[in-house]
Amino acid sequence: MDQIQNIYRVVSNEKLCPQFWRLCFDAPELVKKVQPGQFVHIRTSEGLEPFFRRPFSVYRAQRYVEIFYEPKGPGTRLLASKQKGDPLDVLGPLGTPFTLPPAEITQVVMIAGGIGVAPMLILSDILKKKKYDLVLIYGGRSRGHVYPMKEFKDNGVKVHIATDDGSVGVKGRVSVLFDKVKFNSSNTFIYTCGPNPMMKAVQEFALKNQIKGQVACEEIMACALGACLGCSIETKNGYKTVCYDGPAFDIGEVIFHK
Amino acid sequence: MNLSVKISSVTFKNPVTVASGTFGHAEKYHNLEEVKKLGAIVPKTVTLYPQVGNPPVRIWETPCGMINAIGIENPGIDAFIQTKLPNFKKIGVPLIVSILGHTPEQFVEIVEKLNTQEDVAALELNLSCPNLKHKTLVAQDPQATQELVRKVKAVSKFPVIAKLSPNVTDISEIAMAAEAGGADAVSLINTLSAMAIDTKTRKSRIGNFTGGLSGPAIRPVAVAMVHKVYSSVKIPIIGMGGIANANDALEFIIAGATMVATGTINFVNPRASLEVLEGIVSYMKEQKITDIHQLIGSLQK
Repeated sequence: MDQIQNIYRVVSNEKLCPQFWRLCFDAPELVKKVQPGQFVHIRTSEGLEPFFRRPFSVYRAQRYVEIFYEPKGPGTRLLASKQKGDPLDVLGPLGTPFTLPPAEITQVVMIAGGIGVAPMLILSDILKKKKYDLVLIYGGRSRGHVYPMKEFKDNGVKVHIATDDGSVGVKGRVSVLFDKVKFNSSNTFIYTCGPNPMMKAVQEFALKNQIKGQVACEEIMACALGACLGCSIETKNGYKTVCYDGPAFDIGEVIFHK
Repeated sequence: MNLSVKISSVTFKNPVTVASGTFGHAEKYHNLEEVKKLGAIVPKTVTLYPQVGNPPVRIWETPCGMINAIGIENPGIDAFIQTKLPNFKKIGVPLIVSILGHTPEQFVEIVEKLNTQEDVAALELNLSCPNLKHKTLVAQDPQATQELVRKVKAVSKFPVIAKLSPNVTDISEIAMAAEAGGADAVSLINTLSAMAIDTKTRKSRIGNFTGGLSGPAIRPVAVAMVHKVYSSVKIPIIGMGGIANANDALEFIIAGATMVATGTINFVNPRASLEVLEGIVSYMKEQKITDIHQLIGSLQK
């Protein structure tokens, strides 16, 4: 059996825009194995503080594994201090990946809020090979939260942006952009990841319009291996762990409370 | 070098195990060649009927530890015997099955079902989970502890270990009651009652309102309790509570623990239990100790 825990080397760690950073690490076997929607669980501290590892969606896996993050708590701030060549204690790849769209699908709409855009780039890297009509609807707080969407555009993704303050794109939530896209219940597939209120709105829209899709959830995690059952969320099929049964779930399965 | 220890008539090849609830999906994620090196494994507590567990949020990170209120989510003893037990047996490491009944009768019923099985090394009675709707824990009442252990001992074909709670005035009283009831060993400590509050919403961080604190933050409390219990009972102690490395584990052994378990640290470092084992071996080599029994309870005054 392959090792799930490995020490890798940081290749680069840089700010992509005022709020968000990208860290690349050299992990050839992870690059081969990881699928869109899966994550890595990183020990940010060499000591016991902060105590938990931190889970990060894989943002891209080409030459290196890339993660996209916002330094805002003790773990992510420590991550931002990592330098090229530093060792990185990583568990992964973990979790249930996104399922790919069924045969009849011709249009894929990715709807992401904030840091929730992370699993969408690796998804578009895979989907662009299959000639889908790819769309990204992205919502962020403000200009500093929106990085240049060059990688998505390079993948042929049509990008629509909304910000809370209107400093980039349209002012408002992602839902104000829904009429920019021709959703069709027979050939559109949605992927969504972001804050729970946003995913709840996307879920309601998808169910109302009978559009199939998937959500990627986020929770505080301890083990990330399905052992502690700490990251469980409510679903139509009972409590499910985000780390093991998810992060990807069918769009109608998760019960969002807020 | 002799690392083997005994609980009742069962021999464990070394003193290192894992705490209940911290070790799952062994077949999927752990390097089984490594897991086979452990002295014993302890799966998550199983109850008579399936339990769905507590509503989220179930965990919260705290300084050097965590609060949990999982609520013993488990498939129930029948499904455990059918689907989980065969996989655990395949690992080939002595298995200590942690069980919890909501009444003494439920404990007995679970034990009777397990009696039909072979290849179980011992039973651990979870008398101390703080996350269920019981007003008091069995392990907070010496008489209830003694009676329950006696009832289980009367039916169990396996050695019986009583898992004790730190949420008591004098843990040695409870340990003595377990011993009087016929327990073959005690394990301690379970989590400490704990709470964290979101000051923005003034609500508890935990869905079940309160939870249990574990991790290195509680280790000194656990070491003191093992020390206290060691001076009060003759039965072996399985020591746990915040062990993160071999030195931590050695503190418990010197305080009087015959076996030691890594718990919450398994979530941060999945190899922690093996590192503890390796570290105990190198300590014994350095100190020219040939038998682990020379270390157990060897605290100097």
